[in-house]
Amino acid sequence: MNFNLTKEQLLIQKMARDFAERYIEPVAEQIDRENKIPDEIIEGLAALDLFGIPFAEKYGGADGGYDGYVLAMEQIGKVSGGVAVTISAHSLALGAISTFGNEEQKVKYMTPGCQGQHILSFAFTEPGTGSDPKQITTTAVKDGDYYVLNGTKRFISNANFPGAIVIFARDNESGKITAFIVEKWTEGYTVSEPWDKIGQHGGQLLDVYLKDVKVPVENVLGGPGMGYPILQLGISFGKVGVSSTALGAILAAYEETLKYSKEKMHRDSSIAKFQAVQLRIADMAIKYEAARWLTYRFGCLANEVKDPRQFAKEAALTKTFVCETAVDAARVAMDIHGSYGLMNDYKVARIYRDAIIGPQIEGVSDMQKMIIAGVALSSY
Amino acid sequence: MNIVVAMKQIPDLHQIRMRDRQPVLDDVPLTLGNIDKNALEAAVHLRDTHGGKVIALSAGSEELEDTIKEALAAGADEAFMILDDSLDNADSSVIAAVLAATIRKINDVDIILFGEGSGDNYSGQVGSRVAGILGLPQVGYASSMEVQGNSAIVTRSLEDGEEILEVELPVVIAVMADINEPRIPSVSQILKAGRKPQEVLELDDLAIEILEEPVVTESNLAPETPRKQVVVKSVDELIAVLRTEGVIGR
Repeated sequence: MNFNLTKEQLLIQKMARDFAERYIEPVAEQIDRENKIPDEIIEGLAALDLFGIPFAEKYGGADGGYDGYVLAMEQIGKVSGGVAVTISAHSLALGAISTFGNEEQKVKYMTPGCQGQHILSFAFTEPGTGSDPKQITTTAVKDGDYYVLNGTKRFISNANFPGAIVIFARDNESGKITAFIVEKWTEGYTVSEPWDKIGQHGGQLLDVYLKDVKVPVENVLGGPGMGYPILQLGISFGKVGVSSTALGAILAAYEETLKYSKEKMHRDSSIAKFQAVQLRIADMAIKYEAARWLTYRFGCLANEVKDPRQFAKEAALTKTFVCETAVDAARVAMDIHGSYGLMNDYKVARIYRDAIIGPQIEGVSDMQKMIIAGVALSSY
Repeated sequence: MNIVVAMKQIPDLHQIRMRDRQPVLDDVPLTLGNIDKNALEAAVHLRDTHGGKVIALSAGSEELEDTIKEALAAGADEAFMILDDSLDNADSSVIAAVLAATIRKINDVDIILFGEGSGDNYSGQVGSRVAGILGLPQVGYASSMEVQGNSAIVTRSLEDGEEILEVELPVVIAVMADINEPRIPSVSQILKAGRKPQEVLELDDLAIEILEEPVVTESNLAPETPRKQVVVKSVDELIAVLRTEGVIGR
């Protein structure tokens, strides 16, 4: 067992920290206010391979593994949850294509994605369901060499960027769920305005409307009826990004608390001198370390998935712990800031609004606990 | 055009803690000096403009084999390292002798770049000493540079103005921190750094005699200034005290 980072891992971490501090931090408040990531930030992320860290070099990736990915994402997430979740959702779709796609699909759709020319999407959720395949109502009807897709997808990240979107639909013939790689903005593909959500601004969520969208048969991902396994494993990979983003929020909350507790004076003494504040700081330090090593371990596990069911459990428990801890840490950081923490002028307010998203996305915490318990009970 | 960039392995200054007025260096990660990274960036820019290669050169303990990856990720084409545990804390004269001997081995060098001072001791001597040993012209405090034909046009940033010099190659140039902003290496560049050519030398490989170090560093702390600790209760009283001390009203 070795808990030391390699020189390369340290450099990836430093690279992401440098970019986040030098380029994202100065516009983080603007991203939050405008709910839009400036083009030059997207270009900068692309130039540093941050849209393709864990993926194979032959498909445009950096071959940096999911362990490298978590280290970078933590640093991005620390500065802007919206930027991090954009990369996370994109990587979720890339991960699904990387795992289930054929060679042609990988070359065609992953390469521009890993290089940041395209930003990908993953569309399972619908107005009527978040994670239950039985309730999927989007339909796919085969017509010669094409499938014709109709339906509505809800809360879809990056749906208004160019690139591929992995869409889950019910095959009219078999009644099973099939995943399709669709090129966004193909005829019949339209999107709503971005949802006005509470936090992680910049990471836009939109509804996608599919009206007679023609998808070539060769764009079926993983084979007809393979939608559910793709959803399960794809979402497990996606939780690496969501967990790393939340880890960054914990670190941000922790550092803001340390800074503010030393600056804020009460009767000629910084509040850091008070035991009540120190106990909260200690709690945050404990939780950050626990969350950090759990997330780093998750990244290492994602590099080589042996048993998708066990991996789903590891993904669920990591995502639950880290995302819930981020909310706790942000809440404690607000307590330390007192009324100032409620003001949007203070970074901690944004950290809280970003953190509270984590437990709800890519499977709510209660659903994660059902996955964990299900695997634990079945393997005992 | 071949450019050598001399870079020093130092403890990461952001991670040093102080205990009993002494730096605690245990488990502090090693990195390359900040201004050395400016020198590397300047070299990479020259190479990208004029062709040739950038060679990172460093002397230090065996951890250098890992540390030098920072330079290789940030654009150096290859690295020469002289490894010996004694070199991390060696005197400027020793390091200069070691670097100069290695540069002779590399041969065919047009420009040798240094940061104006190292990130830890900032003595700013090694560049001048290397130029002296090799018998090359040396330019310090460079804030910009370009190469025209067989000459380097170097702008020196001095206290009371700028000086522009034309120097024939080969030349030793020490750059200031404001000459550029070092690039951030991408993930691919970081991961490929370790695969670039690296030459490892030991002190025995160099025909130099290491003399006993003439300079011993006793402390790197800022000098202590005794405080008079005079407490005043009004601005008038403060003015009176400052006047008595001769700080104002002279």
